[in-house]
This record gives sequence, structure tokens and C-alpha cells, in this order.
Amino acid sequence: MTQTDMTDPLLQEITGPTPGQMLRKRVFGHQGLLIGSIVVGLLLLVAIFAPLLAPHDPYAQSLMTRMNPPVFLGGSWDHPLGTDHLGRDYLSRLIYGARVSLMIGLIAALISGVIGTAMGVAAGYFGGRVDMVVTFLINVRLAMPVVLVALAVVAILGGSLQVVIMVLGFLLWDRFAVVMRASTLQVRGREYVAAARAIGASTPRVILSEIMPNIANNLIVVVTLEMAHAILLEAALSFLGLGVQPPTPSWGLMVSEGKNMMLFEPWMVLIPGAVLFVLVLAINLMGDGLRDVTAPENRS
Amino acid sequence: MTKSWFKTTIASVALIAASGAAWAEKANDTLRVGFTKELENVDSYFNSSREGVVLQRAIWDGLIYRDPITNEYSGNLATSWEWIDDLTLEFKLREGVTFHNGEVFNADDVVYTVNFVSKEENGVKTQRNVNWMKSAEKIDDYTVRINLKEAFPAAIEFLSGPVSMYPNEYYAEVGPSGMGLKPVGTGPYKVVSVVPGQHFVLEKNDGYHDSPKGKASITNVDIRTIPDVNTQMAELFSGSLDLIWQVPADQAEKLAQMDQFTVSNESTMRVGYLSMDAAGRSGDTPFTDLRVRRAVNHAINREELVGALLKGKSKVVWTPCFPSQFGCVQDTATEYEYDPEKAKALLAEAGYPDGFTTEFYAYRNREYAEAILSYLNAVGIKADFKYLQYSALRELNMTGDVPLAFLTWGSFSINDASAMVSQFFKHGSLDDARDDQVLADLTIADSATDDATRIEHYGKAIARITDQAFWAPMFSYNTNYVSTKEVEYTPTADEVLRFTTMTWN
Repeated sequence: MTQTDMTDPLLQEITGPTPGQMLRKRVFGHQGLLIGSIVVGLLLLVAIFAPLLAPHDPYAQSLMTRMNPPVFLGGSWDHPLGTDHLGRDYLSRLIYGARVSLMIGLIAALISGVIGTAMGVAAGYFGGRVDMVVTFLINVRLAMPVVLVALAVVAILGGSLQVVIMVLGFLLWDRFAVVMRASTLQVRGREYVAAARAIGASTPRVILSEIMPNIANNLIVVVTLEMAHAILLEAALSFLGLGVQPPTPSWGLMVSEGKNMMLFEPWMVLIPGAVLFVLVLAINLMGDGLRDVTAPENRS
Repeated sequence: MTKSWFKTTIASVALIAASGAAWAEKANDTLRVGFTKELENVDSYFNSSREGVVLQRAIWDGLIYRDPITNEYSGNLATSWEWIDDLTLEFKLREGVTFHNGEVFNADDVVYTVNFVSKEENGVKTQRNVNWMKSAEKIDDYTVRINLKEAFPAAIEFLSGPVSMYPNEYYAEVGPSGMGLKPVGTGPYKVVSVVPGQHFVLEKNDGYHDSPKGKASITNVDIRTIPDVNTQMAELFSGSLDLIWQVPADQAEKLAQMDQFTVSNESTMRVGYLSMDAAGRSGDTPFTDLRVRRAVNHAINREELVGALLKGKSKVVWTPCFPSQFGCVQDTATEYEYDPEKAKALLAEAGYPDGFTTEFYAYRNREYAEAILSYLNAVGIKADFKYLQYSALRELNMTGDVPLAFLTWGSFSINDASAMVSQFFKHGSLDDARDDQVLADLTIADSATDDATRIEHYGKAIARITDQAFWAPMFSYNTNYVSTKEVEYTPTADEVLRFTTMTWN
């Protein structure tokens, strides 16, 4: 009778956890990813259910109760985070501001993702002239300072939510293009791509069902990074008065409106600043975590 | 790495110590003042900003002086004056006055200055200040006549305000740009140095003549441009500024609670108003309908704006001019009480039961504009908010592309209604009402020499403008002056900082 050797690696692979179980284990074992996802998830819920959560109308002005301090600085529970310079409820404006930030982050990342991925994959897959053109376009784009171009365009077209989303969407595709091109170059020579070609699959089919699934993990990471980038840029533009226009609640605008009173009422800048910081940090943690979890070297 | 960090720390500590040592410049007899806006040119005919007016009153003199408290006129560079006829003013000039560069003041200077500034091609920035003069002629060394283009009863007011006398020989040689860099006048302060837009150093003019302005008490005035209010306050705290002004109401309130500062508040002639495109210059706009314009007037809670946002000595204003101005008749003006329901009803009557969307422009006091926007929102007028630089908005305004705007006008501190109402309602490029009846009344009022006629016709014009609700006049502004306890200064209601009346405590 031979005893089964439990240390045999082959056997371990057969009887060990399935890839799904392993992925779950990696996900739940990654603190950054967990914390980031929870925070982003919570803020998403806040943004979606803003009308239910906000204690007041974020646009309701009451000049008689201007700049009431938040509860922890001696304010009342009627306005837990105080009121702004026009007597509007700070908490309600923060909650509605989450909508603006997340919407800009998501849509801008989506637009730039579509543009960047299309260009990157095309360049990586076809190579040659296509690659030359795309690389040239990427270089052109990298040579333009994003904030400056965004400022100029918004100054000409006028600031509004739509304009800011479009400007950021059309400016932030460079990282998508670079990463997707490199990833496509890596997988296009693989056996399964060759096999798909050999059985006569069309080019779109090869790209969509053979290449895309294998580079999707990189795409997700870039999406999260660019979302954070877009949210910060929106805040910067709004702070400079060229982003979302009042009375729309936006965190960047709130920081800008509180700036004048910074010496005496620092909470007016600190509260929206802190929320912005937490959101961007959470998105970055999530992106980092996703990279760690999905990176091939961590799979085994 | 650690070393450079160490050096930075030492340097910052040294800097802080140095700024501490700079505390109380009373010892050096130097008053340090903060300006908010960059001044483009010190030459007072070639800038249109408040800072320019402040320097103008310190460096130069006019022929006449108006006491800012009693509003009475007295001679400054002139000792007496007389109307020869409706178009001619004769002045006897003061003898023994010299300019800061030693040039003697006489009739030639007056003739040169008036002839230079009244010519449109010489490009004086605010033409209204000077374009009523045709020319000047010398009778003898100390007698001069100014000829007017047409009867202009506000002449004395203008001569006591923006029209100051320049040295003819020097000005002919250096021109406006040279004057801006090295200003020379007869005023109570002479200029030591100018860094354009940034830094101005003045020194007391010891040989100042016996002017109603009075001799200066503080020897040196050092003015720096610091655009950010927070930075200005930080410098005030650290003791590197002694006086700041135009401090926003909220910050001034906080500063007033601190022991080491004196905060004084004074009204200004600046009036804030909404301008509506009644003539339809910007295309098909709802504001061509009288009911819509009245609705806007009813939608604004002026009392609340003044009480909660502007504070201080601001007042609700119902007229298209500042109440203290001559001819700014109050009792013919229609007052629109705050009544959002009535506003909504008027809008519904005009065919906008659900309101409408319009572009709304503003160039200063973003928070006031936002508050106004919110009042309009409450009655159904949704606004697409556009916040521009003043020059950009003025240009748009001139081409008639602005349906609704929050604007202000300070009348250059001229205490006459013609400086405001006639500026905007005489079918000029900034006139969005273009009303013939108003034009007719203003034309009579502007050139009548008889006070009663002027008042009657300004009154009629104001009645028509407010009845037709071409504007929604809202409030007057105020300015907060904040100084350390060592500075003694009582501000006046015309928003002009007068260094001559400042003393050390």
C-alpha cells in the first residue's frame, strides 16, 4: 500500500482551493482594497440617495443664519456641519456635492477610457503605422499641461457641469492609451490569439473576446486612478471659479467659498477638503488593491 | 537633505523674528497701508480705480475743494471763482504755490492741464470727468478762464473731484507714462518711489500751501498691493501693515472683536443694482416685458441683503443714483416691497407661470450675486451664472449682449446725480433701457443751471426709470477700515483714504 504523499505539489493543486476561492482570499486579505471599496461604496450610496439623506434643501438660502458653526464647534444639531456663507446647510451641500464629484469622476473616466483604450489596443494590436500615429498622439497629449488646457477651454466655453466633464474626458485618455498599448503588445503574440486567428476569427472578435478579457485587469486599475484624477481636477477648476458654477454644490467650490473666512472659520475649508481627501484616497487604495489582487505574479 | 531642512527652519525663524521686530512703525513715522487691486497708472487721468483716487487726493490738488463732511466748496489752488456766463468760469489762482519739483504754479499750468485732458484723442480714461470742458485761457498769470462745451452745473463738483492740476513743463516733457512713474503735483504728499502696480512710497510735503486739505501729520506712507484679503490680515496680525481697508464685512466683524485693532465702517457712494435688458438688445428676452422687470424687483429681499450680507452703514436704495447726490430725488421713486408671491403672479401674468431661464452676469461680490440668484430662483427665474472680469463684462454690456446683470457704480465719489443716472440712461452704449422720455428729462436736467429745474427733471427721470423698472436698484455699499490701535483715522463717506487726516495715537 502506498501512502498518498500530501506534500506532492500536483496533488495539492488538484485538491487545493479553486481559483475563485483564492481570489476571494486575496481580496479579503487585502486591507487597502477593503477599506477603499467600503468608503467608495458608502459615498456612492450617499450620492445615489442624496435626496433621502440630506436634512435640508442644499439650495435653500437663509441669510439670517449664515456661517453657523458645526456641532463639534458649538453649533446646533439642526445643522450638524453648520451653514455656509449664505446660510445653506453644509451637510446637505456636502451630500449633494458627492453626486457632482462622483458623476464627474465616473463619466470623465468612462469617456477617456473609451478613447484611450480604443487607441491603445489599436496601436498594440496592429503595430506599424497605426502604432506610430497613436504614439505621436500620445506624445502630443503628454506635452499639454492638463490644468492649463482645461482652464483655457473652460474660460472660453464657460464653466458648467457638462463642459467640465467633456473637457476632462477628452484630456485624461493618455494613461489609458499607454497602458492598453503595452498590455496588448504583451498578449497579442500569445498562443490563444494565434489559435483564434488560425480558426478564422475576425479581427474584432479576436480583440473583443481574446485580447480584451486578458488586459481588463490593467484597465480597471487605470479607470480608478483616472477617476481620482478627474475628481481632483474638477475640485481645482471649481476652486478657481472655472468649474461647476454656483449654486450647484461642489466640494471644490465649497473650499473656494470658505477660503475668504479661512483665518476665522477654518472648518469651512477643512470639512469639504477632508471629504475630498477621503474620497480620492479611497479610490486610490481601491485601485492599488485591484492591481495587487489581479496582478499575475500574485495569482499563484 | 536634513541640512537644507535645518537651514530652511533657521531662515523662517529669522524671518518671523524680523517681522516681529518690524512691529510698530510709529517709531519710524511710517504708515504701512495695504491696497487690494493693482493700480495700472498713478497718473489720475489714466486709471479708473478707487486706489487711483486715493493717490490723486494725496499727490495733486484741484482748483476747488469740497469738504467731505459739510459738502461745502472752498478754494484750493484757486482762491475764488465766478460764472461769467453759463459757459465760462473764471478763477483767481493762489499765489506762492510750487510743485514738488520746484516748478511754480500759475495760470499756464491750468491752461495746459485743461487743454490736454479735455481733448478726447489724448485718451483720458473716464471721459465723463473731463469732456464737459472745451478749453482754458489765460487772462493773466493768476487769472484763468475755463470754457465749457455746454451748460454744465456740476462743473464745480467735478473741479473739486477728478480734475487736478498738473505742472505744464514737466507734463509736456514726460507725458502720462512718465507722470505715472514719477508723479509730480502740489499735494500734501510727494512721491518717493513707484513700483507700478505694486509699491508706492509717499513722503510729507513740508512746503504744502495753506490748503483746506490741511497739512499732513504722518511723515511717510508706504503702500503695498496685496490682492488676497487673508494675506492682508495676516500681515496686519504680524505687524507689517498698519492699515487695511475694503475689508469684507464678515472678517471686519471678527477683527472688531480683537483688542489690538480699530475697525471703522463708513458708507460709500457705490450703488449695487440689477440691470435688465428692457430694450431687448440681447435678442428675444423676457425682460422686455414690464411685468417681468417688476417681478424681479419684487423678488429681491433688499432688507435681508443689507442686514445680513452688506451690514455696516449700507442702506437699501430705490433710486438709480446714490441718495446724497444732488438731484437724486427720493420721493418720486417707486419702491417694490419684497413679495415673492406677487413676483410669481406677475411672471404668470406675463406668460411665464413656470418661470424661465436666463443668463445672469456679475463681476464682483460673488456671494452677493449668489444670494440674489437664490432669490430669483425662488420665484422661478433660473439663472445660468456667469462671473467675469469687470472689463470683459463691460465690453459685453456695451455690445448689448447682457440680459441680466448684477452691477455696481461708485460715481467717482461725485456728489451729483448726473454722475450715475446720466451715465447709464442717455442712450449710451451701456444703456439697456433706451427710453426717450428719460433721455429728454436727463438732457434738460444735466444742462440746466437752475437748481429747481434740475431737481424737477431728475425727479421725473427717476420716476420713469423706477416705474418702468428698467433696473432693480438694491443697496449702497460700505467700506470697513481696519487699523492698529496706534493709527487714528476717521473715514469719510466718499471712500477716499485721506492720509492727511491720519495721526498716530
